[in-house]
Amino acid sequence: MSRRLLQAMTVLGMLGVVGSTRALAHHSAAMFDEKKTITVEGEVKEFQLTNPHSWLLVDVKDKTGKVTTWGFEAEGPSTLSRAGIKPSDLRPGTKLTITGNPMKDGSHAAIWVNAVRADGKAFSPRAGFAVR
Amino acid sequence: MTRHLTLAACVLPVLLSSACQTGTRVAEAPGVSTPPAGSIAQRTKEQNAALGREHKTAWDLYQALKAEAKGGQTLTASVVPDWTGVYSRPADKGFTFDPDTPAGVATTAKLTPEFQARLDKRIADVKRGIEWDPISTCAPPGHPRWLTEPFLREFVPTPNQTWLINEMVNDIRRVYTDGRDHVPAEDRYPLYNGDSIGFWDGGKLVVHTNQLQGGIYQRQNPDYTDQVETVEIWQRADAATVTADVWVYDPPSLAEPWYVKQAYVRLDPKQDLRIRYWNCAENQNNAVHQTQDGTTQFNGFSFDPARERNGAGKK
Repeated sequence: MSRRLLQAMTVLGMLGVVGSTRALAHHSAAMFDEKKTITVEGEVKEFQLTNPHSWLLVDVKDKTGKVTTWGFEAEGPSTLSRAGIKPSDLRPGTKLTITGNPMKDGSHAAIWVNAVRADGKAFSPRAGFAVR
Repeated sequence: MTRHLTLAACVLPVLLSSACQTGTRVAEAPGVSTPPAGSIAQRTKEQNAALGREHKTAWDLYQALKAEAKGGQTLTASVVPDWTGVYSRPADKGFTFDPDTPAGVATTAKLTPEFQARLDKRIADVKRGIEWDPISTCAPPGHPRWLTEPFLREFVPTPNQTWLINEMVNDIRRVYTDGRDHVPAEDRYPLYNGDSIGFWDGGKLVVHTNQLQGGIYQRQNPDYTDQVETVEIWQRADAATVTADVWVYDPPSLAEPWYVKQAYVRLDPKQDLRIRYWNCAENQNNAVHQTQDGTTQFNGFSFDPARERNGAGKK
């Protein structure tokens, strides 16, 4: 894990940044630590628009040039659509900064809370549950 | 139909009628929403809860509502309520079965001691990080949990049956309104969505459902058993909302019938949402299993081969 990532985890953990809505479809979110957040910078490797959960795979490069792929879990395509998130928004190679609630076991996966593209546009899947 | 009656039908907030919008006489327009006025009273939440307690079984309540509706009506092709739209259940109050559950309260259901203990344990386990949802295997939620899922929905009345659709696992409840009865008791077996029959009372669809499986109302909510039965009154409350008054009877788990009111808000005034096929098993990254301590863990990730090599998360 990169030093930058650890710093981000520490700072956000101290701030008590916690997701407000649990991931719902299909399975419990018990394997994620919703009291912690991580933030990584990288570029989109693949956007898997699938049910019951979609996955945004992000390649993260450390200082030595080693690339680690992180997976960020979100709700399915219709909820992403309701959140205004389209496949064309996050094509492979898109540079972004993404925040999520990490796995408790240290796997390179997290619940996708918010992603901000290099042009400043933000994508928050949980906004898809809004009804008005 | 007189002009006055036509105008009255057009301003009824429970209906959206293209005939009204175009000024067409309702009785002459095919396939539009002009049911006659119903007989079942609009009751407050407290009155509905009391109504549930007045009847020992869901079937008794259903029969009482049918009597109040003077037997109800059968729809014809020229008198079908228009519930067009894509809807979803508001998620802002969380996902408790009763949307009016106060903050900090686990449930508004009056549970039997055994099922209260089960709920208390479930909530205590979650606080310890232990949680398993029975639909993690891609099973459908089943009714009455079906009412709580936060995904896209369509409600489609037709003359002889109404389809209550949830996009999640392509889940459709069929309510038969052609006058048929439930299947004979000796031929019943547990079903995810049970067997639903109903009748119309004006713009209200009254439904009785039996032959259900046991399950949970939602995560961190109580259990119900395969004795559960429900009565529902569905109606279009306004141009943007379809509601369901729901009474749940389940003697092993409920000390008294549980009344809740569900609401589904229309999302697509521009008709820009589309419901797609839902294959729950299409992505290996979503596969999970229940661990020995009873919680949830992923089987492994395609994008994290080191985790798979090390066996982390494996059964």
